[in-house]
Amino acid sequence: MLASLKLLDLMENSSASIAKQWAKDVVKNPKTPYYHNSDQDKIIPQAVEFYQKLSRVYTDKDPFTAIQKFMGKFAEARFKEKVPLHEALYAIVLMRRHIWLYAEFQVIFITIIEQHQAMDSQTRTILMFDYIMYAFTEKYWELMNLEFARKNKK
Amino acid sequence: MQAYAAKLIDLIELKAENIAKQWATDVMKHNRTPSYSSLPQDRVIERGVKFYRLFRQMSLADNSYEAAKTFSLRYAQECHRDKIPLHEAIYALILLRRNLWLYAEFQGVFVTALEKQQAVESLNRTILMYDYVSYQVIEKYQELINDDVDKKLGSIKTMMMNTPISGMKSIYKSGLMGILLLGACILTYYYHATLGTGVIFTHLLYIPIILASIWWGKKGIFVAIFLGVLILTSHALFLKAVPFVDDIIRALMFVVIGGVVGWLMDGIKKIEDLYKATI
Repeated sequence: MLASLKLLDLMENSSASIAKQWAKDVVKNPKTPYYHNSDQDKIIPQAVEFYQKLSRVYTDKDPFTAIQKFMGKFAEARFKEKVPLHEALYAIVLMRRHIWLYAEFQVIFITIIEQHQAMDSQTRTILMFDYIMYAFTEKYWELMNLEFARKNKK
Repeated sequence: MQAYAAKLIDLIELKAENIAKQWATDVMKHNRTPSYSSLPQDRVIERGVKFYRLFRQMSLADNSYEAAKTFSLRYAQECHRDKIPLHEAIYALILLRRNLWLYAEFQGVFVTALEKQQAVESLNRTILMYDYVSYQVIEKYQELINDDVDKKLGSIKTMMMNTPISGMKSIYKSGLMGILLLGACILTYYYHATLGTGVIFTHLLYIPIILASIWWGKKGIFVAIFLGVLILTSHALFLKAVPFVDDIIRALMFVVIGGVVGWLMDGIKKIEDLYKATI
């Protein structure tokens, strides 16, 4: 777990910089056309918040419940914005990639020991994002069904 | 890529069935994938084998994104057919990836420092594949739900003439309705003025009434009102000796039937719009 702390520090202290890189990517990525007309200043805060919340639960023994909670709110916000589910999920994939791109750019894993730490961090990050993907899709799916049932009642 | 991933790819291809069995055991009892517990184990294993056998093709392709579609599209179709909720289908994919690594670790594939480094690179590649697969599965799954709705609403849509006929569908509807109303006027005149009776022919007037309500919803009631007024006026002009009661009841029934069908069609239209907006 300690091995992941370097990445955690990076996520906590550089969330704004990573979010900026992410925003630049997501507004032109061919798999996220919804974001192409988005104002970068408006989408950066959602990524900053995401990185900060993720860093808070990163070292939890059982992070799933906490992830489910904050991803529930994240999914609600994206649902209200009418972001298609597959694009919203790909935007999250890009958030994960930008943590690593930033870490590589900052050269935080140099020595052999640090390379080992990199692998541990990677494994931990993947686990966190597996939970994130599941929690996000679950909530989004629930919201889609609720919306349908609510409008159907009218 | 090819050099460092070769070891992992060989293992996956050779042991596809073993890894798939391990995955099937996992996914069928996992609390985040409850829908899998009711599926026949053989079918679940087969799905896993398909993924692991296609792994080489997906990993070594020049365009991995396109290669991933071979698996993703079929996986989405099978999950949709088995009524597995999307989030469970995604978690089953996560387990597919995890079991691959668990198996590789258990077999001690990556031991030396160099192999550990290869492991990191293989892991990166696997994650990339997984990112593509999950994106494609979600996109396809939603497309299938839309197709499902379209199919279920298909016959109604045909009646509603929602398929554009050279982009002139509303002209065709209005034209056809005009012909039907003209026919109704001629028929009413023929029966009332020439034959002097109002029996049976009025049932035919339900055809334009129902079609109008299907096409224009509640607004279609105006056709029912028009036909109601038509038979009452015609009765007053040509059937003075016959009591009015029967035709008053008929005219009222026109309006009731037109209104009910129109109301139901507006409901169906609302459901259709809702599906399109939310999925």
